[in-house]
Amino acid sequence: MMHRMTRRQALALGAGATAMITVGDAPLAFATPADADAEIAKFTGGKPLTAGKITIDLPEIAENGNTVPLSIVVDSPMTPDNYVSDILVVADGNPRPGVAVFHLTPLSGRAAAATRIRLQTTENIIVVAKTSDGKFLTERKQVKVTIGGCGG
Amino acid sequence: MNRKLEPSLGMAVVVACVFVMLAILSMVSDAPAQSKREAPLALHEAAAELPWKRYRDWPTRDMSKFNTLAKLASPPAPKAPRKLAGPIAGDAAAGQKLVADRSRGGSCLACHSMGPAGNADLPGNVGPDLSEIGNAGREDEWLFNVVNDARVYNPDSVMPPWGTHGLFNDQEIGDVVAFLKTLKSPAKYRSPLDDPNKRAAPVEARDNLDDLVNPGLWAVERAQALWKVSGPSGSSCATCHADARVFNSWAARMPRWEPRLDKVLSVEEFVFRHTKATTGATWLMQSTENIAMSVYLHFLANGQPISVDVTSPGAKAAFERGKALTARKLGQLNFSCLDCHDPTRGGLKWIRGQWLGEQKGQYDHFPTWRTSLQTIWDIRKRFQWCQVNIRADELPPDAKEYGDLELYLASVNSGLKLSVPGIRH
Amino acid sequence: MAEKPRLKVPAQAKKGEVVEIKTLLAHGMETGLRKDAGGAVIPRKIINKFSCEFNGKPVFSADIEPAVAANPYLQFSARVDESGTFKFTWVDDDGTVTTAEHAILVTA
Repeated sequence: MMHRMTRRQALALGAGATAMITVGDAPLAFATPADADAEIAKFTGGKPLTAGKITIDLPEIAENGNTVPLSIVVDSPMTPDNYVSDILVVADGNPRPGVAVFHLTPLSGRAAAATRIRLQTTENIIVVAKTSDGKFLTERKQVKVTIGGCGG
Repeated sequence: MNRKLEPSLGMAVVVACVFVMLAILSMVSDAPAQSKREAPLALHEAAAELPWKRYRDWPTRDMSKFNTLAKLASPPAPKAPRKLAGPIAGDAAAGQKLVADRSRGGSCLACHSMGPAGNADLPGNVGPDLSEIGNAGREDEWLFNVVNDARVYNPDSVMPPWGTHGLFNDQEIGDVVAFLKTLKSPAKYRSPLDDPNKRAAPVEARDNLDDLVNPGLWAVERAQALWKVSGPSGSSCATCHADARVFNSWAARMPRWEPRLDKVLSVEEFVFRHTKATTGATWLMQSTENIAMSVYLHFLANGQPISVDVTSPGAKAAFERGKALTARKLGQLNFSCLDCHDPTRGGLKWIRGQWLGEQKGQYDHFPTWRTSLQTIWDIRKRFQWCQVNIRADELPPDAKEYGDLELYLASVNSGLKLSVPGIRH
Repeated sequence: MAEKPRLKVPAQAKKGEVVEIKTLLAHGMETGLRKDAGGAVIPRKIINKFSCEFNGKPVFSADIEPAVAANPYLQFSARVDESGTFKFTWVDDDGTVTTAEHAILVTA
């Protein structure tokens, strides 16, 4: 599923973004907290990101952030000359943004991986996939982490 | 079978087979009525740590001035509303913070939408939406009394008596009232998920019997190893129960009334008392060995419908006591089991982002893996946490009152098939 | 007692088939961000690296941060063109290396 931001959403996310995303021809600024941005920039070497081609399966709402199932599928061949080589996962509301980097090979057969992650709060999961020809794809999804009823 | 048998020999084999089958049948028919040879039980010691000490990572507040399942201690409800000298001069901004303060017993937002309070982030819907209460023309004195102790207007109210039970002082209640008077426009939620009336009830879809999904299942392997470990007496579970599979329905019939103890006996208490009397091992309730064995014994009976006896005189009386306990108001928040789990009260509604299930469905998966805590809880620990969470003192896991409550709850869950260990948040 | 690694991998597959692999290692994944009752930071201790090889060739690996949940679970795929053995490796912060193997029979 393609994630498209309205202009209003993009503006609402505000300044401070360094990762440049292109949707079609229109460049958009994804504002992530600076640390998440830096993590992504480290992974991409500052190269541009293209939104789409990644499906992130995450619950819309998580009753606790302790073990949230995350599944990623990139719409890509996995042939020796055209495959997804690396997938970065960051969470922009965690104490540290990095979650994992998956390294794939043509032997992986499918550009897919799943794990279970910790989320500190309601936040965005941002996935960046690197293809064997050096391009970067990205997608994001928000998970709402529940607030308990009875308090402490 | 060997088809070349001589007729006479064949007949002998058939006769022998019939005898063996009759013998097996008589064993099977004896099985439910094991009272002929009652399971040995250690009858005279506590089945849990004594004196009971609260789990180390749980809140340590002293709630001895409030009701528990074993004693009545809470202050009485006031007989009449408090009279105020004049209009309330509270601080609405302070009130807005207080209604979202989770350290005071869950906060008002646990049960009410309140306009912008708490960023309109996942309010609950046990109580009415108060986002327009400021338009309702309520007098300060009425608002003050509802927050202070709603029972002066409705003796059956679910709302905690914030003032009477000392959660908020008069000044703080005044601040809350001042904030309530500012609420004059319909709730605006940040997303459909934030609206408790539109939020879909959570569905637990994970496969709790997959060992890559549910770490609780690993307890089965631990118990299978424990089964063969000799205790101080030199014998193990396996000494008398070589094949554990005979327990393929036992746990579904638990808990049961135990006349020798004059109380309801649960799987976990049975494990302690029976093991103590046989292998000599001390597997106190809540010990890792006890929990593992309880998971295993329930696991062996998975798929069997819960079917507990509530007809014998002792069991019937225990059931009635347990049922009565579900209505008892407990702790500083003054909640009964029914306040939160009966659909005519708070059941099947939201307290902030948490769904309150009804009583049916709260038993068939215990002991259960708790993903939030990465540990297995039996039903007694769940009872204990409910109480500590609503600011009541818990009882020891082997308390008679828990036995009565568990028998009642199991009976409410009759017919549901065991699926243990469950997996929950 | 350490729990054994848990695997779900098919025992057989057709040549060229993409099979699904599920792995889990029992591990607390201590983040290094928590404090004990006395206020002292509990040192980080996580599985920081996982890898899967098939007949010695890399299939999938992961660099893991504390934001991966306790009992790290990884699910991925592998294309198998020949019979052989998957080798799984988990590396702990303290240097401990846990391995597991799984053979698969590949038919034409």
